[in-house]
Amino acid sequence: MAKRITIDPITRIEGHLRIDCEIEGGSVTNAWASGQMWRGIETILKGRDPREAWIFTQRFCGV
Amino acid sequence: MNDQKADTSQEPVSTLDRLREQGVSRRDFLKFCTGVAVALGLPLGMGEAIAEAVANQKRPPVLWLSAQECTGCTESLLRSNHPTFEKLILELISLEYHETLLAGCGKQAEDWRVKSMKENKGRYILVVDGSIPVKDNGIYCKIGGKTAQSLLEEMGAQAAAVIAIGSCASWGGIPSADPNPTGATSAHEVLKMKGITTPVVNIPGCPPNPYNFLSTVLHLLTFRKLPELDEQARPKFAYGRLIHENCERRPHFDSGRFAVQFGDEGHRKGYCLYKLGCKGPETFANCPSILYNDVGAGAWPVGTGHPCFGCTEKGVGFTVPLHYPARPKYITPPTFFTEAYPGKPEVAPGTKALAAGVAGAVIGAAGAAMLTGLGKKDDENKDKEE
Ligand code: SF4
Repeated sequence: MAKRITIDPITRIEGHLRIDCEIEGGSVTNAWASGQMWRGIETILKGRDPREAWIFTQRFCGV
Repeated sequence: MNDQKADTSQEPVSTLDRLREQGVSRRDFLKFCTGVAVALGLPLGMGEAIAEAVANQKRPPVLWLSAQECTGCTESLLRSNHPTFEKLILELISLEYHETLLAGCGKQAEDWRVKSMKENKGRYILVVDGSIPVKDNGIYCKIGGKTAQSLLEEMGAQAAAVIAIGSCASWGGIPSADPNPTGATSAHEVLKMKGITTPVVNIPGCPPNPYNFLSTVLHLLTFRKLPELDEQARPKFAYGRLIHENCERRPHFDSGRFAVQFGDEGHRKGYCLYKLGCKGPETFANCPSILYNDVGAGAWPVGTGHPCFGCTEKGVGFTVPLHYPARPKYITPPTFFTEAYPGKPEVAPGTKALAAGVAGAVIGAAGAAMLTGLGKKDDENKDKEE
């Protein structure tokens, strides 16, 4: 029987990351990484003056 | 983190002893506290009172909740160029929980958060960075399987005070920009919707100046209450004046000398950036006087030749298009025209700041009526919030 482990939150990184893995016979057989936060910056950018796009895209990540 | 916790539970290694171990002398510490007193607009002697209050008490527990954020607020706090700043911030408070800085992860991290909340119930400071998505039951931000909204409600209800750091936590910031796809909401609003009455102070900015945050924390430690706040819950010492009032380019504005395009003659000569869309005339913040990163004069957006885009101000930053002209809030005379020691790089930035602070104190003594005239008008702010 595969065992499932979830690690959430993954710390010491920017953002909200979650890792799920399936373990069978002592080794990882399947794994998923998922971002747990969404702001919709692509949606916010639509229809804006291209000269100000940097204000938004620059703030994807502040690290 | 666990080590830090063990440290606070046994009495009492004084903050000063701890700082000495870190190579920070008493003199440096006093200088630092005096700087904070100036930033807060307190008389110079108050530096010692702050030092005493801080040195003689246990570090207050701080839990840090990150929601829809980019970690820029944390970065600006940790990467401040002041040599002892990060040591001080890490030694002055007991940082119990912070996703980006925590050593443990997953269940370990969440267990620690719950344990620390329980042990420090009613006396911890909750710092929030990032806006809180409330659309679709808050699914757009989750930590350990819980929504940021439910975590804020849980952690905010048991905190002594909430400090919202950055524009996102203060008023929604960039994620709340039109069409606000996730229902990004400020910490203050989320708590209000739930009827939670824990006092909240907002430190907007994208990112905010770390000294405005630190001064607020030290005020809380010294006087056991929050600094005086404006109607948007921002500390008045930092957000009491328009950027336009203290801008070094203000004489150019008053004389009608403008940069009209990036790189034109006016821009190269350092003229006013109003016609490039500078939002200084409608944005409240102390950027021109406190500056960034301790690298000397000019280290702030307008100083580098870029118009202010109003990041601190709800209804301006991420809302009014970048190159759209500002709607000046009110016309007032500038508080000073140039820096105290122009063209003298050998004068330490601290001395310049001090001179500016003293000038402010003199103006304050000379005319309280004048300062009242500079205060924000309530009805104007209401307009802005709409
Ligand atoms: S418009 Fe901007 S650049 Fe011009 S004086 Fe005001 S704050 Fe300074």
